[in-house]
Amino acid sequence: MKRRTFLQLGGMTAAGAWLSGCRSANEKLIPYLVPPDEGVTPGRAEYFASACRFCPAGCGILVRVSEGRAKKIEGNPDHPVNRGKLCARGQAILQEVYHPDRVPQPLRRSGPRGSGKFTPISWGEGLSLLTGQLRTLQRERTTERLALMTPQLQGTLADLAARFMATFGSPHHIRFDLLAPDWLRAANRRSFGQASLPWYDIAGTRYLLSFGADFLEYHLSPVHYGFAFGRMRQGRDTVRGHFTYVGGRMSLTAASADRWMPARPGSEGALALGMARLILSESLYDAASLAANGLRPDRLSAGLEGYDLPRVAQLTGLSQQVIAEVAREFATTPPSLAMAGEMVAFQENGAEAVRAVQLLNVLVGNLNRPGGVYPGGGPVAGPENSFADLLALVEKMRGDRMGVALIHGDPLHAIPQTTGFPEALGRVPFIVSFSPLLDDTALQADLVLPDHAALESWGDVIPLAAPRGTVIGLMQPVVTPLHDTRQFPEVLMTTARELGGGMAAAFPYQSYQEMLKETMKRELHPAGGIDLETVWVDLLRQGGLFKTEGKRGKGYRWRAEAPIPLPAEPRFAGDERRFPLHLQVYPSTAFYDGRGAPLPWLQQLPDPMTTVVWDSWVEINPGTAAGLGIGFGDLVEVTSPRGSLRLPAVIYPGIRPDLVAIPMGQGHRGMGRYAAGRGANPLVLLALPPSETGPLPAWNATRVRVARISKEGGLVTAGNPEGSYRGELIEI
Amino acid sequence: MEKQTSPYRWGMVVDLDRCSGCGACVVACQAENNVAICGKKEIAEGRNMHWLRIERFWVGEYPNVRARFLPVLCQHCRDAPCEPVCPVYASYHNPDGLNGQVYNRCVGTRYCGNNCPYAVRVFNFYSHQWPKPLENQLSPDITVRTRGVMEKCTFCIQRIRRAKEDAGGEGRLIRDGEVQPACAQTCPTEALVFGNLADPRSRVARLVRSPRRFRLLEHLGTHPSVYYLKGGGREHV
Amino acid sequence: MSEPTLPAAKSAGRMNDAMLSSLRPPTLRWYLLAFFLGAVVAWGLYAFGYMVSTDMSCTGLDRPVMWGIFIVNFVFWIGLSHSGTMVSAILRLSRANWRRPILRAAEAMTVFTVTVGALFPLIHLGRNWVFFYLIPYPNQRGLWPNFRSALLWDATAIFTYVIGSSLFLYLGMLPDLAVARDRSAGWRRTLYGALAMGWRGTAREWLIFHKASTLMAALIIPVAVSVHSIVAWDFAVTVVPGWHSTIFPPYFVIGAILSGVAAVITLMVIIRKAFHLEEYLTPLHFDNMGKLLLVIALLWSYAYFVEVQTTWYAHEPIEWEVFSFMAGKYTPALLLMLVGNSLLPLTALCFRRIRRSVGAMLAISLLVNVAMFIERYLIIVPSLSHKNMPFVWGTYFPSWVELSVTAGAFAGFALMYTLFAKCFPMVALTDVRELEARKVLVPFARAELPSIAGKEAGDD
Ligand SMILES: Nc1nc2c(c(=O)[nH]1)N[C@H]1C(S)=C(S)[C@@H](COP(=O)(O)OP(=O)(O)OC[C@H]3O[C@@H](n4cnc5c(=O)[nH]c(N)nc54)[C@H](O)[C@@H]3O)O[C@H]1N2
Ligand SMILES: Nc1nc2c(c(=O)[nH]1)N[C@H]1C(S)=C(S)[C@@H](COP(=O)(O)OP(=O)(O)OC[C@H]3O[C@@H](n4cnc5c(=O)[nH]c(N)nc54)[C@H](O)[C@@H]3O)O[C@H]1N2
Ligand code: SF4
Ligand code: SF4
Ligand code: SF4
Ligand code: SF4
Ligand code: SF4
Repeated sequence: MKRRTFLQLGGMTAAGAWLSGCRSANEKLIPYLVPPDEGVTPGRAEYFASACRFCPAGCGILVRVSEGRAKKIEGNPDHPVNRGKLCARGQAILQEVYHPDRVPQPLRRSGPRGSGKFTPISWGEGLSLLTGQLRTLQRERTTERLALMTPQLQGTLADLAARFMATFGSPHHIRFDLLAPDWLRAANRRSFGQASLPWYDIAGTRYLLSFGADFLEYHLSPVHYGFAFGRMRQGRDTVRGHFTYVGGRMSLTAASADRWMPARPGSEGALALGMARLILSESLYDAASLAANGLRPDRLSAGLEGYDLPRVAQLTGLSQQVIAEVAREFATTPPSLAMAGEMVAFQENGAEAVRAVQLLNVLVGNLNRPGGVYPGGGPVAGPENSFADLLALVEKMRGDRMGVALIHGDPLHAIPQTTGFPEALGRVPFIVSFSPLLDDTALQADLVLPDHAALESWGDVIPLAAPRGTVIGLMQPVVTPLHDTRQFPEVLMTTARELGGGMAAAFPYQSYQEMLKETMKRELHPAGGIDLETVWVDLLRQGGLFKTEGKRGKGYRWRAEAPIPLPAEPRFAGDERRFPLHLQVYPSTAFYDGRGAPLPWLQQLPDPMTTVVWDSWVEINPGTAAGLGIGFGDLVEVTSPRGSLRLPAVIYPGIRPDLVAIPMGQGHRGMGRYAAGRGANPLVLLALPPSETGPLPAWNATRVRVARISKEGGLVTAGNPEGSYRGELIEI
Repeated sequence: MEKQTSPYRWGMVVDLDRCSGCGACVVACQAENNVAICGKKEIAEGRNMHWLRIERFWVGEYPNVRARFLPVLCQHCRDAPCEPVCPVYASYHNPDGLNGQVYNRCVGTRYCGNNCPYAVRVFNFYSHQWPKPLENQLSPDITVRTRGVMEKCTFCIQRIRRAKEDAGGEGRLIRDGEVQPACAQTCPTEALVFGNLADPRSRVARLVRSPRRFRLLEHLGTHPSVYYLKGGGREHV
Repeated sequence: MSEPTLPAAKSAGRMNDAMLSSLRPPTLRWYLLAFFLGAVVAWGLYAFGYMVSTDMSCTGLDRPVMWGIFIVNFVFWIGLSHSGTMVSAILRLSRANWRRPILRAAEAMTVFTVTVGALFPLIHLGRNWVFFYLIPYPNQRGLWPNFRSALLWDATAIFTYVIGSSLFLYLGMLPDLAVARDRSAGWRRTLYGALAMGWRGTAREWLIFHKASTLMAALIIPVAVSVHSIVAWDFAVTVVPGWHSTIFPPYFVIGAILSGVAAVITLMVIIRKAFHLEEYLTPLHFDNMGKLLLVIALLWSYAYFVEVQTTWYAHEPIEWEVFSFMAGKYTPALLLMLVGNSLLPLTALCFRRIRRSVGAMLAISLLVNVAMFIERYLIIVPSLSHKNMPFVWGTYFPSWVELSVTAGAFAGFALMYTLFAKCFPMVALTDVRELEARKVLVPFARAELPSIAGKEAGDD
């Protein structure tokens, strides 16, 4: 008899003294004493398919609805992007609907700009204020003084916005997103002649080499590639894919790598070329692939002359032996695949560095094959340098040449101040914000016309990465709107109708939903002649249109006239002696670029790498911190040529001694009770380094210095900082 | 061994070679189970209510440093140290091998919390609030716990119950993969696999036979129903 | 023994007067003291009420430290309770006649400390208002408490102990109550009359009384040992590193007796001063108690050494982690504990001069109790702080609520004691007089000395 059984029976005997007629059958005891599963009433709920547009990955979701309220968001198993999986953010958008600080109806500014004083008004008043402003522009024949700023829109909404601006007569539709993959489209155009986005077959690869591409957190499609990563590791019987990560900071993605190569910031392109040169010199390249791409090994070798191992080792700060080892592994473990990400692209020489990585793929024959890269595999085209558009707009705003700014999103938080955007926006006489929460931009607006929450909206979402084919996610309202809000596209259309004339004629639809249906009709049958009503319900139930079979990506090849990528010596903003450390600003796993900050689930979610909650921080190498007298959680001041910030320090073993890193996402002025005034926005530190090739969004090319202020950083971590080094106690 | 009175013995496999530490499962669990929102102060006080946490360990020093992630939820121990110490049977063992928790019974001695070697039991030190209209997100399937009671991962028992009802209605057993807890359902890398260990053909049962298998604090003899698969191949950095 | 344990023979009336002096009408100072204690108790009750009406976030508890100073108090007070009944019973059975003047003080202390101690498991509940779920009573739902839980064993053992030690106290007091009845008037007379249950002091009554006393003394010792063993099991039967230890039950019992004996010494000093009983509580008593304390401190030191040595030698990683954490973070407390429980008693009490110095004994006994409180703290808090999962290590410091309730507990104990002393004879009157009556002169070397080494109760 086991001791517990014994004690149980002993207990029963003792209990027998107290109660009469008690059966001593041991196995009856617990069920008898305790009704099973108390506190549980599994209800019947309904599931509605929709799509997540929180980030451009565009995953498919199912929303559990009961009693008319959305209760939980799950992944749509039928959606080819995420196959029933979701990231933390996608699940948290539920809280967007029920956020206690939502703007419940239109607001008109009643105090000075930025004072946060607003008067609630009706939609009628709000819309007439807006149309009044637009009519003035029309009357004065200065329609180009209208600016529309949105994130990078897709599908019907992109079409609608473009049509709105074109018909109105303004070229100023700015689609700037700090994290949009413009750089990747641009690189693809230069190397392959097409501004497409690639699709990586991570699940099928045997050797994954990532140059600063954090595909498990935010790069292109984290759930899609996270799913593939799991399969790459343990989805095949005999193969376990190997993963090497290049980057000065150990990101969440890098933490899953087998090998971490903390190359000096800005040297990643040189590293790729050093590997290429070694592969060429040791004849490990794929001759057929080079031939097919019109490249000749001898010419390439000559072009890469300068990237000999000793020099590359010196540039990158890595050992020659490691570089050679990885280059050989990469070339001899087919199919392999190399990818370049934001942390490389946002260097001043990023454009060419990204292409250097592409060259590596060409060299070992990774293009257009299972387990490799499909340069044309991504489904969409889009802006290639919206940053330049933004700067142009800033110039115009500065010159008082803009009259009305319609803003969807929160550019005041998400655009680095070094662009001059905040001051420039201040000169625009009339600002309209469509934010559902009073975010930093809405606080500066003259008129707030609150958008629906995502779960209350119609829409189509075209994912950034999907197995080749047509994938369009459909958003449908899964709950009736909680407040007196209206959907952004609906407001644009209503405005157009009220303006009348050509504007009204451009939108011959009853509603945005109808326009959406038209899009789907075209997608289903370009030639027309399909009765949409019959399939519409199916599309909604399914969550969108998923045609993935058969269609192969175009086999892009290296452009004949494409030059060999030669990343220049990296330049940085800030003098090395005054600002001895490099700064890396990276998207937060929970907040992305900051849009997740108002959601309490995401604030409460410990940052995976630091376990910090409800805050922002700066990561410093233990040696560097010791040298500066900085301890875990101390308050420090980070100063760049652009400005300075105070925030707590995290002693971070996974970062180069000459680099510090700050996550973006916090430091909002507004955005409701959970985000406002919390943490710091590192974008204020960023400076643009002097450039020869015109302005590039080189967000990781700023230098800083760090000084300790006090012990009171107020940092809170979910994990015990000391215990975090004591994994040996649990033998994992 | 106790007599198996149920055709199910629920268990989970956590593949550390897949887990990226992304935290999606943490939010899934919180959303599914009405887990309280905890502010900075509360977490600073060591009173976070998450039923599932991702532990992150640092091994080695720069540049030969590695970060390791370990998702930790209730291990649903077969010999659960939290059960015999509970004076009121609020922490109990159900026939499917789950460690259940009866919130109504719990008087809040916190004895079980001390004796759970995995520190997965969370106590309602606070009377938690959902500012209006945030309370609309609360799932009607499970109770909202009041102050003074202990709570923890239940393997999403409400989902198991629903699946049982479905299967029972059709006069069959629950099929492998038919029921998934919220965390496993959302895990992008498929690091979490849930199923019936009593069925040798289930996916969990097959994974449990992997040579990479281990269990947390195995030496304590708690016989957890959660199995971990070692993360492999991270030896050269 | 070469020294009288009692003052020179006095008339029975004078002795009664002296020993019942505590029953005289309260002075202003008494009122001030009672008021002060009452105020502290009220503050403690307010703090407790605050916790009950808000939530437990006002404590310093967290995960992983889910037990704090409430449970420290629980173990400490239950430990103190071993003074009385245990000491008294052991001394009674071993016929140490010097015990007689201190019996009552010790026995009363047991009853009050165990009462205070037993409150803490209820105070610390997250939902105190449903404490009755812990009680086995017939109910419609057929719900019973879990007898596998050490907390239930606690409840059972402590309940038994409360009843046993109350009976023990009452039984010993019976003849004194009769004396008090005969010497008082008004409500006191009614009260003592009822409580004395018609005691007349006949030979038969005395015979039964002696038999019952001896039997109770014999019975109460295993109960007391079991109580603290069971309290130790609260910890020992867990899998918490630093708690899971086979030596805990004997070690806890020894610790309990150590704190108990020390507390009796403290009380002796206080009572001696407060009720002017210098004649009855002489340096000889302190000397003897000092020897007892010395022996127990030796045992305690041995047990502590064994416990630490095993941990150190086995070097089980997590156990060792808990110990090193404790030694590192709580170094001053640890040193104070070792000095107070071991070094100081073991050295100082070897000297007769010190044992006979009332002031020194007061200091030592107080220090022992401070050290024992720390010992309980150092067992409970560091073990929980650094349990098996390093990622959720934590710390604990008691909040104002917990400290207030603790202060309230100390004041409550003192208040109960003060009230008791005003209502009942604090010195075992008849016991002392009985000894007086039996005193014989025995030849000792060339002199004849009064001896108390006569026959004891039960022999006649
Ligand atoms: N977790 C948990 N589960 C419990 C309990 C618990 O305390 N905790 N309590 C248990 C107890 S005691 C009970 S009684 C049950 C209650 O469980 P149910 O009987 O399921 O009670 P409800 O869900 O309140 O209501 C049932 C349905 O009746 C509908 N209804 C309301 N009015 C009418 C009407 O006039 N006509 C008709 N046809 N339908 C109507 C409601 O819309 C609802 O859909 O739950 C039990 N389950
Ligand atoms: N708002 C609202 N009110 C309702 C209902 C509703 O759906 N909504 N439903 C109605 C219905 S159908 C019913 S049956 C009633 C139910 O109403 P109640 O009988 O009040 O039921 P419960 O709320 O489940 O609470 C029972 C209490 O018992 C305690 N308890 C748990 N275990 C034990 C134990 O072992 N011993 C003792 N003594 N107590 C224990 C719990 O802590 C709880 O405080 O409520 C009715 N009122
Ligand atoms: S990856 Fe982007 S689209 Fe997908 S669930 Fe997460 S936030 Fe939503
Ligand atoms: S969701 Fe999966 S991959 Fe992400 S942390 Fe949880 S277990 Fe790991
Ligand atoms: S992990 Fe902890 S809470 Fe879960 S069954 Fe085991 S002991 Fe109990
Ligand atoms: S806290 Fe609740 S569940 Fe845990 S032992 Fe105490 S009564 Fe039982
Ligand atoms: S099984 Fe359910 S309750 Fe447990 S951690 Fe996963 S989601 Fe949470």
